[in-house]
Amino acid sequence: MTHDEGPMALLPWAATTSPSLRGVKLVRTFGDGTARRAALREVSMDLFPGQIVLLMGPSGSGKSTLLAILSGLLEPDSGQVLADDDGVLRDVWQMTGKEREQYRRKHTGFIFQGYNLFPALTARQQLEIVLKWGEGTDSADARRRADAMLDKLGLAPNKHKKPAQLSGGEKQRVAIGRALVKNPSFMFADEPTSALDWENGQKVIELLRDAAHQRGASVLCVSHDSRILPFVDVYYHLDDGHLERRPLPHE
Amino acid sequence: MSYALQTLWHERQRYASGVLAVTFSAVLIALQCGLLLGLFKITSIPVDNTTADLWVGSQEVPSVDLGKPIPEAYLARVAGMPGVTSVESYIAHFANFTKPAGGTELCYLLGFNTDFGSAGAATVLSREQLDLLTMPDAVIVDESDMTRRLGVKVGDKAKINGKEVRVVGTVKGLKSLAAPWVLCSEHTARHLLGFLMPADHITYLLVRCESRGRAKEVATELQAQYGTEMGAYTSEDFSLRSREYWLYRTKAGIAIGYAALLGLVVGLVITAQTLYSATAANAREFAILLALGVPRWRISVMVLAQSFWVGVIGIALAFPTCHALKYGAKQLGADVDLRWEVLLGTAIVTISMALVSGVGALRSVRQIEPMTLLR
Repeated sequence: MTHDEGPMALLPWAATTSPSLRGVKLVRTFGDGTARRAALREVSMDLFPGQIVLLMGPSGSGKSTLLAILSGLLEPDSGQVLADDDGVLRDVWQMTGKEREQYRRKHTGFIFQGYNLFPALTARQQLEIVLKWGEGTDSADARRRADAMLDKLGLAPNKHKKPAQLSGGEKQRVAIGRALVKNPSFMFADEPTSALDWENGQKVIELLRDAAHQRGASVLCVSHDSRILPFVDVYYHLDDGHLERRPLPHE
Repeated sequence: MSYALQTLWHERQRYASGVLAVTFSAVLIALQCGLLLGLFKITSIPVDNTTADLWVGSQEVPSVDLGKPIPEAYLARVAGMPGVTSVESYIAHFANFTKPAGGTELCYLLGFNTDFGSAGAATVLSREQLDLLTMPDAVIVDESDMTRRLGVKVGDKAKINGKEVRVVGTVKGLKSLAAPWVLCSEHTARHLLGFLMPADHITYLLVRCESRGRAKEVATELQAQYGTEMGAYTSEDFSLRSREYWLYRTKAGIAIGYAALLGLVVGLVITAQTLYSATAANAREFAILLALGVPRWRISVMVLAQSFWVGVIGIALAFPTCHALKYGAKQLGADVDLRWEVLLGTAIVTISMALVSGVGALRSVRQIEPMTLLR
């Protein structure tokens, strides 16, 4: 599928109308007293299965804060994050720390600007460690799933290579593999293309789009890079703590 | 290979100082203990250089040089025990050595059966030397004590307890600590000691048994039957007993203990610092695992596994170093006793030290927050 066909045209998930993740009236401020600054002012955002959402905005507009709150890494001052946890919508920030850890383990994948790969481990081991340590998967199964994921990402020939032997694009693909190997319902990507040239950046965004369109994940991508626009289904703009949905160029 | 070990190998330069700190501690501890044990081996020389299976002396004798006279009649009792194949009498007593050029020195007389292959004859003595010792008033001393302490050479005459003796030879390996060992026949010893050794009394009975295992049984049996009159110990036990007595008596262990403790503290600080900074250096990688829902304890276990391996590798480097230094010390005339107990103890102490360092490094694991990846 190419982006020319329109983002929602062939999506099996498009029929699903209920959101898998809802951020409701989220407020978050930083600092104290006169230095107090609102990062999010009653921001609401819904993510749907099978959709890739782009969140853009100037530096310091609160994009990463919103991503952190929705993904269960940062607690909001007020508001709710309702996530589909096996068919039930649960407020992520009403969960205990342990429940939230479990929720992240089951449902969320992350990609960050830095690849954050262990220098000592091979590409395959970067994926295996998540399965073994996270889900307690046995070695043989973890290896099988890691290899299958690396195959899909076109990294099969690189599975025994360590990060120092991989290019930037390959490293980011391994990082994507690490996030996707446990088949998460939600993918959060923070500036995933910013350290890459456009050729590699495009590959990365296509993989994220595939995660949404083929696997039915809800993907939220925070970026400065407007070249991503043609690859996404929904586009939000965040400025000074206010969120606004904007039309895509082809809409 | 475990992830911990793999990381250790990949980032070996980073971990090197921690590994070397463990090695340093281990070498210091093992060598200090080895030197101490080597030194105190001197106190059990008469036991270690003879071939008896069993030593029978006065009741609760704490060390081989502190045996009190026992009646020679005990010989019959011991010889009658099942499992005993032979019994010899043995005399051991302090005496006063007068140097030919004047001046006196305390010495320790060892008088034994001079038959070749007897239980009491020091194993370093040749058949010829044993023959020479059958002459009245013939003595042999260790060459390290000859000129420096006793002021004699082979063929010289000197006096012990005012009675003339002749130095007929020297041996190697019977170095003394306080009083030089003077080897002679039982007859000569009795003559030189005079009234210091009551008539019909001896210091020890040296026993040979059917087997080493049997010796243990005979010792137990003798202790049970005659424990109020005599003490019976296998030669291994008596050797250890002598060394332990002087070790505790002199409190030399305390000095060595402090030196070893210092090594341990230095090792602990360096290893802890190495592990802490190594863990902090991987904080972002660990943070992403936490974001992906990997429990924090998994990361703690990996850090502890790393500290364990730092300990193991440190020990693996330390042991060959210890043996090289032992060889070096031997060339300088010092005996370092690196028995397995010393090596095992060192390994346990230093690996525990590395694990404690790992527990310290867990502080940096607690500080890892996935949020930091978004800033």
